[in-house]
Amino acid sequence: MDLTVNSVARTVQSPPLASLLTVLREELDITSPKAGCESGSCGACTVLIDGEPRRSCLTAVCAVDGAEVTTVEGLGTPEDLSRVQQAFIHHYAAQCGFCTDGLVVAATAYVSAGGSADTAAISDALAGHYCRCTGYVKIIEAVAAVARGDEFDIAATASSANNTYVTIAGAGS
Amino acid sequence: MAIHRGKGLATVEYPTGMNQNGDPSQAWIKVKPDGRVDVFSGTADIGNGSKTIQSQIVAETIGVPYDWVTYDNSNTDSSPMCTGTFASRATFVAGNAVLKAARQVRERILAVASRELEIDPADLEVADGAVSVRGTPAKSMGVDEVAGAATFVHGELLTGDGAHLNPGAAIVDPETGEVDRPPHAAISYAACSAAVEVDDETGDVHVLELTHVYDIGRAMNPTLVEGQIEGGAVMGLGFGVLENCYPYYPSAEHRGGDMSTYHVPTMAELPEIRNVLMENPSSGGPYGAKGIGEMANNAQPAAIANAIHDAVGVWVTEFPITPERVLAALDAKREGRGEPRREGRVVAFDEEMSINRFSSTITWGPDVAPPMCALRPAGGPSPASQDPFTGRLNQ
Amino acid sequence: MKVVGARLPRYDGVGHVTGRTTYVDDVRMPGMLHAAALRSPHHHARITGLDVSAAEAMTGVHAVITHADVPLLVYGHLSGAGIPGDEPLLAKDHVRYRGQPVALVAADTVEAARAACAAIEVGYEELPALFDVRLAFEDDAPVVNDTFGNWYNQYEGNLDVRQIRKGDTEAAFDAADLVVSGVYRTQSQEQAPLETQVCVAVPEPDGRLTVHTCTQAMYFSLGVVCSHLQMPMSEIKMVGGTVGGGFGGKVDTASDSLTALAAQKSGRPVKWRWTREEEMLASGNRGPWHMEIIDAVSRDGWILGRKMLTIHDAGAYGRFSVYGLTKHSFHHTGAYSIPNLHFDGYVVFTNRIPTTAMRGYGVTGLSTAIELHAERVARELGMDPYEFRLKNANRVNDTSPNRIAYEDPSTVEVLQSLASATGAELSDELRTMTRDQRTGDMLPEHLTAQVGSGGGH
Repeated sequence: MDLTVNSVARTVQSPPLASLLTVLREELDITSPKAGCESGSCGACTVLIDGEPRRSCLTAVCAVDGAEVTTVEGLGTPEDLSRVQQAFIHHYAAQCGFCTDGLVVAATAYVSAGGSADTAAISDALAGHYCRCTGYVKIIEAVAAVARGDEFDIAATASSANNTYVTIAGAGS
Repeated sequence: MAIHRGKGLATVEYPTGMNQNGDPSQAWIKVKPDGRVDVFSGTADIGNGSKTIQSQIVAETIGVPYDWVTYDNSNTDSSPMCTGTFASRATFVAGNAVLKAARQVRERILAVASRELEIDPADLEVADGAVSVRGTPAKSMGVDEVAGAATFVHGELLTGDGAHLNPGAAIVDPETGEVDRPPHAAISYAACSAAVEVDDETGDVHVLELTHVYDIGRAMNPTLVEGQIEGGAVMGLGFGVLENCYPYYPSAEHRGGDMSTYHVPTMAELPEIRNVLMENPSSGGPYGAKGIGEMANNAQPAAIANAIHDAVGVWVTEFPITPERVLAALDAKREGRGEPRREGRVVAFDEEMSINRFSSTITWGPDVAPPMCALRPAGGPSPASQDPFTGRLNQ
Repeated sequence: MKVVGARLPRYDGVGHVTGRTTYVDDVRMPGMLHAAALRSPHHHARITGLDVSAAEAMTGVHAVITHADVPLLVYGHLSGAGIPGDEPLLAKDHVRYRGQPVALVAADTVEAARAACAAIEVGYEELPALFDVRLAFEDDAPVVNDTFGNWYNQYEGNLDVRQIRKGDTEAAFDAADLVVSGVYRTQSQEQAPLETQVCVAVPEPDGRLTVHTCTQAMYFSLGVVCSHLQMPMSEIKMVGGTVGGGFGGKVDTASDSLTALAAQKSGRPVKWRWTREEEMLASGNRGPWHMEIIDAVSRDGWILGRKMLTIHDAGAYGRFSVYGLTKHSFHHTGAYSIPNLHFDGYVVFTNRIPTTAMRGYGVTGLSTAIELHAERVARELGMDPYEFRLKNANRVNDTSPNRIAYEDPSTVEVLQSLASATGAELSDELRTMTRDQRTGDMLPEHLTAQVGSGGGH
C-alpha cells in the first residue's frame, strides 16, 4: 500500500488489516500517535487523514491506501512550530504530554475548518480526547486563542483571568 | 419535576512530603567551562512540571538565566537518589535538594571570581549570569568567564551537591498516635465552593462552577500551579460524580476496562473553574513553596455533595454521586425516611454502624450508641456472632 | 527574584507539542522481544498445577517466566520501613485476585506472546472470595492474605489497629449538647494516566540490566527491581524520568521487575506494554474507604470530641495501604482543631486488585467524609456553614491529632477568601478573624490543652 505520510510518499508492508497506529509506530517509526487505549476511546492516536482527524487505532491501513496522513510531526518542528503548537506551549495546554499529540492534531483540524473561539464549540469538537493532567481549562484557552488569531510568545506562558493571587497578611516570615 | 440549584462548601488540609525513611532527595550540579549549568536530579516528571520548577530554583539560586540550565533526570547512574514524585514532594523536598546544591555552586563561583577579581567573596554577588562587586556594578565578570577560569586557570570543577532529609522517620506511639517529630514537611490548606444543578426527575447532577482557594506557599511558577489546581479539580469532579472502579461495590463484577466504560471526565463535563491562589510561604520550602499537587482533588467531592443537599435536601454519602443514588435519596425523602433519628441530644444519620464493635474502651451512655461488645484482643478474631456493622447478634 | 515566580514555559514543552518527547513505548531496540502476561481468571483460587512446557516450545517464544524464576518472590513495597513483604511477584500457590500475574512470556511479537500465554496450563481450585470488608472479621471468612490474615496486624507493638487517642473523649461526649453520627463510603478510583504501564529492559554486554521505566519514583523502583532480582544497585540502570501521567499509580510499577527478568532469561531486550484493559482491570487503583464519624458538639458550635472508625479496603496485598491509613489517622480532624479524639483504623484485605497510591492518598475520601459531616453538624446546629468552619478552624500552634503544632495554618484566611470570591456574606466578626494563636473567645476552656509549644509545621 502507498500512502503519503507527512508529505513523504511511503510504501508499507504491514498486513492490510493492521491498524494505521501500528503501521505508523512500528513500521514507519513515527511515534507521536500514542497507543493510549487501542479501542478508539481516548484520542491519543489521532492523526489527519486527508485533513480529517481520525483515530489511527481504529483505522485499518488498507483503508488509507493512497491517502494523505499527517501526524503532529508533520504540523511543525521545534524550529518552526505551528500556531497550535505555539498556543499549547504559551497556554500550558500540555503537562505530561501523552495526550498532546492527538489533541494538537485535532485542534489543528478544528481551527483549519474555521472553528470559533467559543468554549462550547471547542468542547464539542474535542470532547473525545481525554486528558488526565490539565483539567482541559488551558487546552480550551489555547485552542480559543488560535481561533481568535492571537500571536504567541513561547518564552512565556499566559496568565488566566480565572486565577487571582493574594498574599496572607503578615505571612512571609 | 424540576431543576434545582445549590451551593456547597468544603475545607481541606494536606501534608507536603511524607514520613517513611526520612523522605530523602539528593541532587548534584556541575558547571561546564562556558558557565552552563547541568543539574542531575532523580525526580521523575510525571507531567507535574518538576523539571521546570527545579531548573527555576537552580537558575534563581546560582544567579544565571533559566536557559543556561540543563536538567537531567533520565537515569539512576548519573542522578543521585530521589524517593520519587508522590506525596506532593517534588517541589518542596526534591526542590530543597537542588536548592542546596545550587547554593554550593554559587559559593564556588564566588570563590573563583574572588581570586580573579581580587575582591572578598562577601562583596560579590551573582545575577543574570555575571559576578559583580556590590555597589560597583561596573566591576564584574561573567559566570562563563568564571567557569573558564576555574577549568583552564585554577584546575577546578565547579560543582555542588545537596540533600534533603527529615532526620529519622517519625516514630508513632501505638497507643496514642503521637509522633516524635513532624511526619511531613509542611501542611497546605484549601477550600472549594461548588455550584450544582440537580434534576429531581433523572437524578442528574450538573456541576456548574468550582471555586477554589489554595494556600500554595509560594507560586514558584504561577502557570504551572494553576495547571495542577485545574487538573485536580477535574479529577475531584470525577471522584465526586463519575468514576468508580467497582460500580456495584463490594461486587467485583461489571468493571469498566476503558474510557468508554470507566468515566473519566471530558471537556463536556467541565464546569467553570475559578481559583484564588494564596501565598503563605512555608518556613522550610524552597523560596517558601508548599506542595499542593495531591490535595487539588480532595475538596470537590464533599463540596458537590453539600451543594446537592443545598439544592434538593438530601445527603448522598456514598461515592460517586450517581443519578441512581440521588434518586434513591430523593425517594427516601419523599417517603419520610430522609431525616436522621433525632432523640434527645442524639442525631443519628446512619443506624448501621460498626464503630461500637471495633472498640469499646469508652462507655458512651445508652442514648449515644448501642451497647458495647467486649474489646477484641489485638490480632485475634472478632466475635463471629455479631454483625460487624451494627454490633447486633446474628442468628 | 526573577526566575522563581516567573511564568516560564515547561522545560519539555517543545518536545511535548511536536511529538519529539520520548516515552518508554517509543524506545526501540534491535532484536527487541515483546511480552504478555498470563493473569488469574479467578478472584481466589489455589494453584494445583502450572505447566509452561507447551508455551516454551512454541515458535518465536524466547522466555517464559514463572514464580520459580524470581530470586526474591515475596516482597513488600514498605519493606524498607519495617513492614513485612506479602506479595509474590508471580503467583505460586494461590491467586488472590482476578488479574494477578501468573506468568510472563517474551516472544518475537505480542501476538506470539499472547498465544503462548494461552498455551500455559494452570490448574486452579477455586476458593470462596472475600469482597465485603464488613465480613472480613468473621471467623468463617475466607483468608485473603498469607502474611497478615484478613487485616494488617503489625503496627508498632504488633497492634492490629492504627489508633489515635487524645484528650478525654468520654468527658467530651458527656459534656456534649449534640452527638452527631454518620457513615461515609468512598469508592475505588482508577488513576487512568493516558500512558499505560510500560517497560523496556535491555541486557547489557557487561551483565548489567538497563530498565526503561515509566515509574514515578526511579530510585524506589530501582530498589524494588534490585530486591526481586537480588542484584546490587550498581548492576541495574533505571532510565526514565519522563512519564505519561502517574497520579500515584506508577509508584509501584509492577512491570519493571518482570520485564527485567524476561530480558535476563532471554538475553534479549524485552518490551512489556500493558493494554488499557490491563491498566484498568489489573493495576492498582485508589482503594475504597468506609468511615464512621461521631462528633460531640456544643450548642454554640464547638466540636468537643470525635470518635471515628475507618476500614480501608486494601485489596489482596498490603502495598502502601498501611502508610495510607497512618496518614489518614494523622489528618482525621481535617482543617479543624478537635481536642478529644478516639480513632481506630483497619487495613482490611479483600480478593480484589491490591490498591495503591492515588493523588491525595489516604486523605481524599477522608476529606470527603469530614466535610459532609461538618455540613451536617452545622445544619443540625442551625449554624451558617462558614461560621461553623471558621469557628473550629485550626489556629497557629494548635496541635494536630498526632500532636504536631500547626506552624502556618491558613484555614481561616482561605475560607474568608472563598467567601469573598463567591459572594458569601460573612459577619464582621467572621471577616476579621485571624489564624493567630488562640486568646480570648477563641480560647475556651476545652481548647486550652490544645495549644502546643511550637516547633511543628
